[in-house]
Amino acid sequence: MERNLALIALFAALIAALGLIPAFTLGFGVPITAQTLGVMLCGTVLGAKRGALAVLLVVLLVALGLPLLAGGRGGLGVFASPTVGFLVGWPIGAFVTGFIVEKLRFGSLGMTAAFASVVGGILVVYVSGVIGLSIVLDKTIPEATLLVVAFIPGDLIKAILAGVVTSALYTARPNSVLSRA
Amino acid sequence: MVKQTQDSPTFALQNVFVTRDEKSILRDVSVHVDALRVGVVGRNGSGKTTLARVLAGLVEPSAGTVQIGDIDPAKNRKAAINIVGILFQNPDHQIIFPTVEEEIAFGLLQQGFGKAEVAEMVAKTLAEFGKSHWAKAAIHQLSQGQKQLVCLMSVLAMKPRVVILDEPFSGLDLPTKMQLARYFERITSAIIHISHDPDLLTTYDHVLWIDEGALRGQGAPQVVLPDFITQMQKIGEADDIADLTD
Amino acid sequence: MISLTSPIRTCAHNWPAGPKLMALCFATMVLFAQNGVMFHLSVFALVMAIYALAGRTFLRFGLTRLRGLWPFIAVVMIWHSLTKDTTLGATISLRLLNAVAMANLVTLTTKLSDMITVVQWMTTPLRRFGLRTKQLELGIALVVRFTPVLAYKGMQLADAWRARSGKRPKWQTIVPLAVLAIDDAEYVADAIKARGGL
Repeated sequence: MERNLALIALFAALIAALGLIPAFTLGFGVPITAQTLGVMLCGTVLGAKRGALAVLLVVLLVALGLPLLAGGRGGLGVFASPTVGFLVGWPIGAFVTGFIVEKLRFGSLGMTAAFASVVGGILVVYVSGVIGLSIVLDKTIPEATLLVVAFIPGDLIKAILAGVVTSALYTARPNSVLSRA
Repeated sequence: MVKQTQDSPTFALQNVFVTRDEKSILRDVSVHVDALRVGVVGRNGSGKTTLARVLAGLVEPSAGTVQIGDIDPAKNRKAAINIVGILFQNPDHQIIFPTVEEEIAFGLLQQGFGKAEVAEMVAKTLAEFGKSHWAKAAIHQLSQGQKQLVCLMSVLAMKPRVVILDEPFSGLDLPTKMQLARYFERITSAIIHISHDPDLLTTYDHVLWIDEGALRGQGAPQVVLPDFITQMQKIGEADDIADLTD
Repeated sequence: MISLTSPIRTCAHNWPAGPKLMALCFATMVLFAQNGVMFHLSVFALVMAIYALAGRTFLRFGLTRLRGLWPFIAVVMIWHSLTKDTTLGATISLRLLNAVAMANLVTLTTKLSDMITVVQWMTTPLRRFGLRTKQLELGIALVVRFTPVLAYKGMQLADAWRARSGKRPKWQTIVPLAVLAIDDAEYVADAIKARGGL
């Protein structure tokens, strides 16, 4: 239906817009790039299928040559770069995140969303990212993991924020949180 | 003309240029205004909203100096939030927090007041507006006019010396406009009211006319506004709506 | 929204996107099958020469787009100088530069509309599996249309924060932005329905 398509497209636009807006801070001046948070939100708010489609749309448009990634990055070059695994992992991560939020119905929505964001938005995405990194940079999996481990704490905080934001969105617009429709 | 009691002008700009992406938005604007009720009139796209942001310190000019109260609002953000407040056009693009009291409290916390003090100040602001029952209300339940009022309360709670109103009546129905206008009248700080509607500024002390990024005229509303209206009517009879901005 | 296609026209701009993409796939596979540092060095020279064919500005464009890779190359070179295998490090770095430079070359010389044509062509056989390509095209158009709109609203919210704080916006500004995205989606859905629906 029209509403599904519109929500998918608008959340894709949201991820892209988050890449255009200068980084938010967490407080104490620590900057965070909000795009991965956007990916988590696609899953927690739109659910598995639609969340994944929204993120897939972003990835597709990046491939088509639009500068939608943070810093105005985009084009096919991104898929040849060491971060390709992360990009490929995004839609899968969103799917897993959405799946967990849809199916896991105990505890508060916020906590479920945060947990789902850790599993989908971090675990899945990093597995994919590390594999990609190891191939492009010709390193073993443990070596590649070492290279990215420093980014995990930041992403854990984003996962918690995803929980808080999802909960706030459910209060403001409950009918649009499709993962719990 | 009602003069301010302080020595410093309401605001002063000296040779201010604002250029973005090679497009000139404000060109060589110099003005020194000392009045309690200032209007800024101009077409949409004339640069008046950018002027509002320059005065609020949200946009740093590419050249020239800005002074409001005693300070440069862009360079001295910490002092700026105590001196100048700004109300934007669309409350949906302005309200950040989910409840009324959180939204009003935000600026006060940023000014450095403690939590207990802030709670008192929020209650006081709501009481002054006769809206104490709004404290725990959720923003998404409010109408556009009510949201705009929340924005106004959030700005006034911070007790600024100058309040900038950037087309605050956009999209509001007539009764809401009238009610909101009454709240504006009660503001004791200086007001800079940006509008494309001359009728709203007839009782003001001083009016600036911004046209295509430059200061085209200034003075008493009885002098500036009729010229502005004539010019607008002339443009209305032509067809520049057909032109694409580059 | 402006795509990454280069405004400097080359003859490659007129070639259809499909063959270019296939050539890129093939070339990338060859790149990853080869391990010699001399091979990759020659390929690098060749790729740079191709960029240079379109003029100095184009070459500069191309090189700027490779700048983002320097942290990875730095890590690789440092790693491999520590393991005393700098040749391998150089091979990996050159291979990376080549793969990205070639991919960028396709992006720089292909219009968005040509890329969309390829997508349409690729998804046509999927129609029998239920993929409605019209929805995909509309979806693409909506993202291109609304990304700048949401970015603008995000900046407005950031301004609203900065107007009352001396500091940069914190994460709370994402909530109203997401609400705006949800509300815009409702309006868009109505607009689509009003013009015939999907």
